[in-house]
Amino acid sequence: MNQQNKTCSYIFPCLVAAFYMFLYVPIIILIISSFNASAYSYEWRGFSLTWYHQLWESVEVWEALRNSCIVATASVVLSLVLGLMFVVFAAGTWLDHLLLTFYGSLAAPEIVLAVGLLSFFTFFSVPLGLTTLIAGHTLIGLGYVVPLLHSRFHELSYVLTEASLDLGADYRTTFFRVILPLLSPALMASALLTFILSFDDFIISFFCTGGTTQTLPLYFFSVIRSGASPIINALSSVFLLVSSIVVLLFSSLKIRNMDFF
Amino acid sequence: MRSIRLENVTKSYDGDIVIENLSLTIPSGKFFALLGPSGSGKTSLLRLIAGFETADSGSIFLGHEEITHMPIHKRNINTVFQNYALFPHMDVFDNVAYGLTIRRVPQDIIEQKVIKILKAVHLEKQIYKSIHQLSGGQQQRVALARAIITEPDVLLLDEPLAALDLKLREKMLIELIELQDTLKTTFVYVTHDQFEALTVADYMAIMNHDGVIEQIGTPKEIYEFPTSSFVAQFVGSTNIFSGAIKDGAFEIQDLGLLQIVMPDKSWAVQGAQALMSVRPEKIEISKSKLEGFSNELQAKVEAIVYHGRSTQYNVRLSNGMLLQVFEQNEEHFPYEVIDYDDMVYLYWQKENVVMLER
Amino acid sequence: MKQWQEYHLLSRIRSFFWAIPALIWQILLLYIPLVFVLMRSFVDKESHFTLSYYVELFDATHFIILLRSLALAATTAIICLIIAYPVAYFLSMYMSRFKNVLLFFLIIPFWTSLLVQLYAWFSILDKHGFLNIILQKLGIISQPYHVLNTPFAVYLVSIYCYIPFMIMPIYSILEKLDMRLREASLDLGATRWETFRRVTVPLSMPGIKTGFFLVFIPAFGEFVIPILLGGGKQLYVGSLITHYFLVSRSSGLGAAFTWLSSVILIIATVIMHWLFVRVVTPRKTRRAMYEPTK
Repeated sequence: MNQQNKTCSYIFPCLVAAFYMFLYVPIIILIISSFNASAYSYEWRGFSLTWYHQLWESVEVWEALRNSCIVATASVVLSLVLGLMFVVFAAGTWLDHLLLTFYGSLAAPEIVLAVGLLSFFTFFSVPLGLTTLIAGHTLIGLGYVVPLLHSRFHELSYVLTEASLDLGADYRTTFFRVILPLLSPALMASALLTFILSFDDFIISFFCTGGTTQTLPLYFFSVIRSGASPIINALSSVFLLVSSIVVLLFSSLKIRNMDFF
Repeated sequence: MRSIRLENVTKSYDGDIVIENLSLTIPSGKFFALLGPSGSGKTSLLRLIAGFETADSGSIFLGHEEITHMPIHKRNINTVFQNYALFPHMDVFDNVAYGLTIRRVPQDIIEQKVIKILKAVHLEKQIYKSIHQLSGGQQQRVALARAIITEPDVLLLDEPLAALDLKLREKMLIELIELQDTLKTTFVYVTHDQFEALTVADYMAIMNHDGVIEQIGTPKEIYEFPTSSFVAQFVGSTNIFSGAIKDGAFEIQDLGLLQIVMPDKSWAVQGAQALMSVRPEKIEISKSKLEGFSNELQAKVEAIVYHGRSTQYNVRLSNGMLLQVFEQNEEHFPYEVIDYDDMVYLYWQKENVVMLER
Repeated sequence: MKQWQEYHLLSRIRSFFWAIPALIWQILLLYIPLVFVLMRSFVDKESHFTLSYYVELFDATHFIILLRSLALAATTAIICLIIAYPVAYFLSMYMSRFKNVLLFFLIIPFWTSLLVQLYAWFSILDKHGFLNIILQKLGIISQPYHVLNTPFAVYLVSIYCYIPFMIMPIYSILEKLDMRLREASLDLGATRWETFRRVTVPLSMPGIKTGFFLVFIPAFGEFVIPILLGGGKQLYVGSLITHYFLVSRSSGLGAAFTWLSSVILIIATVIMHWLFVRVVTPRKTRRAMYEPTK
């Protein structure tokens, strides 16, 4: 037993440390490179913020950012509203069994969804752009929002609803005073999740944007394709910063982590 | 304060009939207890009164008003839930004030009332605490305060003390009695614990496994004069003898004739099969012969269980029956010490038994 | 919550109405389009029914591409599992003090765009990139080694990007594991390894399964990584579909290939799932499962 303990307490931490190094070395190199005065990552010419300046000056980047934010925000709002409406109003009816339909977007590889959306839009001659992107991202968002809200909603002891009704509150009041406040962590969590998924999304954006509109990930892709410019080192750092903020927000919600699995 | 009346109420779940044609009147202003084993349907009955369930047939009245189909929030009946159902996102004050807040009572009046009621349940120091910081007993009292602050006609309590430990439970029972006395609201207390029911009730009903009310009466009536063997055995412990009425006495196979007081019932005729219920505390146990009792039996002590205030003896009669006898531990050093395998005499008076129809 | 609907503030019909939009969205944008794609695969440019697209797909190249993607998906999933399980185990069993910090750092790459993660490796694996510099400085190689645009790069970065997907479900389930079960096993005389093998692993199977398919299914359709890091010479399912739809505009062929690969994916998933059940459920339980109850 003691022998095993020893190996456990030495090997394990080493393995995990190695793993975290594997995970972060590329990221750290990336961040450091973004401060490299040289355009080429293999030589260090000193600390510099030129690339960040260029990033700041770049019109393309700002437009891509604008689009990403618009799409993400719209998708969040739509997914939350539609999802919440479904969960609340389908509860207790046969519609509830249709919960399974919302798992479809999670079960298929995103490229299949993207192909479907593209075919759908071209068939109806819908001009591809921000709206189609929002439609697609909302679809993804619903796939996360509905299961999450559904489980949380039904987890909420219905006794609390009964208690509220019992004390004289009608259903509308009960919903706003009891149910909604208790659902708000789940709502916030799904909002953050949908936001970051939409913000980071590439595949559906790639297929549904028709080349006219650009989101940040698409911009990224085009720059890498065309030979990479050091400006995206800076952009990557910004991306990482955004993710960190979102994760911080998420963890402050005190939901049991990763419960949507 | 209004009374509750149920008329021929039937309720079934998924085809299983839980309550059938039940009629009951709960008098107003009293502490009423509904006692029954788990699964007997007593909680369903409570939920029907509260409005969480609708009866399949029959009617429910609050005073003269029919509330059978009235939605939950319109009934002036509040419930204290078994697991309290306190709103986790509100503190004590907001929980208690909830009923008043939604009725749009002015804030200053709310404050007055909340403080007053929290004082009544001894929680005035916890007024702004989060409910997660409270102990079980304290949460219980918040639930109580929340339910009575709106001065409902009826207060329903669904096994409210089930989650508390013994000492706390005993304390809360007394507090509940005092509360009901002060408020004069009709309390309907549902429990499977006969000790609780006997303690708090002015009036109680016993429900059996099939959702049928077997007896209604005061606790004393129910305990001392049960009308069925179920009631006799469910409430308290008892010894049941099976036999037949013969020549004004009770004949038991292999045991002989026991003296009884002939019940004034139509079934109590010569030769009728009957049951005799003798409570363990009514039996006197002694190693030596005693005089002055109507009935005497001999038995052998098989088990002795010490209960603190009393000692229980399990004794075996000559016909093989096992009896329970309770002796109060009146003295530190009793004159007579009864031990395992002792042969003892059992005595009781014929007035202290209950005859039941078989 | 039967009563909720019964007691709803709106009448039955109106409440129905509010739940519908979400369903319409799903059906309209997910299921109907899939049907469209299916139909498109059977219809040629003159709107006649045809199987020509499917026929065209039945050749060696397509077969190889499908296999290649399956290999990528399976290998990625397996290697991710091998790496992820110990990490998830360690995180859930020990490290209660630093757990939140470690989790925080684990989630960040998870929620950073794939492209950023990809690009991080891009510059490292480049001919003039970090990896080559290090290897040259260490004297292992004399000339810059072509790592980018190789299958190795594709596999490496796939694993890198998908590992968090494997860790999360496994961690989640290990965390919820009742410690007392492990204690009971140890108490009854099993060694720590036996406890791990007989108690912990079987109980964490749902998490392993979830993680596996969470990696396997998307990795099968992956195209960004092959396109950017594989040099586009070797085609994978995803990149071919992209090519058909966005480059050569042969949507009929693309539709057919999409459905074909989806079917292959479903079959592969079912087989894998069956394998999982076989491997995990001990023979006795399996027999009990199939034997009629007496």
